[in-house]
Amino acid sequence: MIRVLIIDDERHAREEMEALLSETGEVEVVNSCENAFDALKAINQHRPDVVFLDIQMPMVNGFELLSMVNQDIMPHVVFVTAYDEYSLKAFEEKTLDYILKPVSIERINKTVAKLKELLVTAQPVAFEAEEIKRIPCLIGKRIKLIGLDKVEFVSTGTRGHYLVTSEDEYYTDITLKVLEERTNLIRCHKQYLVNMDFVNEIALLENGLGVITTSSDGSVPVSRMYLKKIKSMLLL
Amino acid sequence: MDTLLFTQHNIFMLLQQMSVFLVIAYLFTKSPVFRTFNIGDLRPKQMIILYVVFSTFSIMGTYFGFPINDAIANTRAIGAVLAGIIGGPALGTAVGLTSGLHRMTLGGFTAVSCGISTTLEGLIGGLFHLYLVRNNQQSKLLSPKIAFIATFIAEVVQMLTILATAKPYTEALALVQVIYLPMIVANSCGSAIFVSIIRDQKSMFDKLGVIFSNKALRIADKTLSILSKGFNEDTADKLAKVIHHETGVGAVAITDREKVLAFQGLGSDHHTVGITLTSPETIRAINEDRIIFVDGVKKQWKCALSDKCPLGSILSVPLRFDNEVIGTINLFEPKDKIFLTMNKTLGEGITNLLSNQLLYARYNKQKSLLVEAELKLIQAQINPHFLFNALNTIIAILRRDSDRARELLLHISNFFRTNLKRKSDLATLEDELDHVNSYLVIEKARFEDRLNIIMDIDSKLLNIKIPVFTLQPLIENSIKHGISDMITPGTVKISAKSIDGMTILAIEDNAGNCGEWDSTGLGMNIVEKCIKSICGDQYGLEVECVPDERTTVTVKLPERGCRSDKSTDH
Repeated sequence: MIRVLIIDDERHAREEMEALLSETGEVEVVNSCENAFDALKAINQHRPDVVFLDIQMPMVNGFELLSMVNQDIMPHVVFVTAYDEYSLKAFEEKTLDYILKPVSIERINKTVAKLKELLVTAQPVAFEAEEIKRIPCLIGKRIKLIGLDKVEFVSTGTRGHYLVTSEDEYYTDITLKVLEERTNLIRCHKQYLVNMDFVNEIALLENGLGVITTSSDGSVPVSRMYLKKIKSMLLL
Repeated sequence: MDTLLFTQHNIFMLLQQMSVFLVIAYLFTKSPVFRTFNIGDLRPKQMIILYVVFSTFSIMGTYFGFPINDAIANTRAIGAVLAGIIGGPALGTAVGLTSGLHRMTLGGFTAVSCGISTTLEGLIGGLFHLYLVRNNQQSKLLSPKIAFIATFIAEVVQMLTILATAKPYTEALALVQVIYLPMIVANSCGSAIFVSIIRDQKSMFDKLGVIFSNKALRIADKTLSILSKGFNEDTADKLAKVIHHETGVGAVAITDREKVLAFQGLGSDHHTVGITLTSPETIRAINEDRIIFVDGVKKQWKCALSDKCPLGSILSVPLRFDNEVIGTINLFEPKDKIFLTMNKTLGEGITNLLSNQLLYARYNKQKSLLVEAELKLIQAQINPHFLFNALNTIIAILRRDSDRARELLLHISNFFRTNLKRKSDLATLEDELDHVNSYLVIEKARFEDRLNIIMDIDSKLLNIKIPVFTLQPLIENSIKHGISDMITPGTVKISAKSIDGMTILAIEDNAGNCGEWDSTGLGMNIVEKCIKSICGDQYGLEVECVPDERTTVTVKLPERGCRSDKSTDH
């Protein structure tokens, strides 16, 4: 069975896709999500083989969602859209397939057959994520998109991952590993990424450790392992 | 006779002869050949004409001279020097040489000296020409002062040449003593006067040119907008009046291919508007697509309508539109008046101008039709994203609830039909809301609980008329750029109220997606333009956006709705 995650902001579209995929008898739908935030969580949790992904979604679109997914667990991607052929053209080489809504069962069968073959021969995932430009963060029940140029550093702890700006802290579902790979944030500690643009001073401690003070007085520890790299970036 | 008296006598003799010479020069400047000359920019053909003319003058100068001591006191220098000044060194030398060789054939002890000196004189004139042209002072080519100085120098050189080359020297000296003063004075003055004659003639033609250009420009200006309203009896009458007034010809007639559209001037008692064409010249101008001119001198134009018609000459110019003759413009002069060349040229020019105007008017009309058609098309265009998503939604609903699917399909067909069938510019608010309702039912099915709709319509306003496609595009904007980009449920409020003597429609969403609204420019602009053009400039749209809170689009309309003059045209 192919493990599939459906992502579409319209309820009926999700239900229809689920029904069609079930009809093929080859697919197990592990979950279906109505926005990119739920989807990011679901991908991290379920590690699906394939996502059927709508492009137009609120706040964070399909392409942006993929840029937030860890490449290790990047699923195969089938884009599903009503009328976005233009934007899809650019992604055609990177994606497995795309389907236009409304969808016929024949079209789904074709796609599923292709997917089976891919998974059997263990073909690598075609989609390579883009750079992240905005990071979606949860504030209460609302979601805010934080521009990377505002982020001073990111830390991870038992409560999750936090972005720290000069104004506030924001919770995000994107892992440090993804942020390190697809942004210009620099790893300075197992649990910290720092934006070099905001580094105000760096204090060198005993034992080869360091502490960075950011523009708005945040303090970020630097571990032994990363100190040399950080120093060389500051031309020390 | 002492030398001084003799010299005075000679001066008067030469001046007298020079006068005859100048009369001939004056007559030359009256000739048609002269008019085409543009001093300072001469073409080879004109150079040849100038060569012949000035050589003739120069040779005539020899013949008009009179013999003194076996030599000839003369005004030969004028032709050679002026040829040089006007046409350059080549022309000057050529004229000098020609006339010098001619002089040599007449013999005498100064024959060779005169031959050489005349050539030199032409060259000297030419050097003046070169000097002036190089210093960008072409206007001084026709300066009497320059002509005087050049000839003066040339004559001094001539005297020196005679002294240097004529044998025996004593005789040459005696001769020069007698002739130097009269020759220098007469030739220098003669050149100066000749040039001033040429200059006066030139400036007279230039003045005529200015009058002509002014007239042409004035007619162009007055007729410029007339034909943009089409080619018919009304516009033709206005045109005929302008042309008649400005050219001052006896009469002006404007025709289409069959009949007279307008007539102004003499003979209007029998040349009436609407009569079939009778003048064979006009008919020929149409059939042969060329200008027909009967000058009234060699051939008389004869009015076919009345024996008493005072008109005797005609210029009939075909009026073209897109390479087809659509009519003629005819200028007439009475039998006792000459048809001026100026009016002939004007008549032809005006007609060309009008042909261009007709084309331009059509171009403009087509352009505005195109814009109108484009606007209508954009308005009636269904967002394909909406269409395919709607169909996808209905297909999904069909699996569980075929009644609801059927209902949705009926709404979608109602929506499309209204979009396609919009014929007039206005519809009642009720009709617009019906259109909007079909749209909203479909969008509600797509978004389900993510979209809430609140309607607050004053029922007294249902019958007022508003421009079509006012509400739906604005609501579509609210959903597309507002609600559909929200994670949490969104609400669109639609209201219609009477406030402060105006009808106010408002569309408000709670997304407050202010950045997105910049990209809605075109659709909003069309709605705004339609309202302003149909209802008046004081009405239109206002957008207010509070980030993350709400966006409100307010539509201001007249209290009792809009009225359109165009609504009956379509």
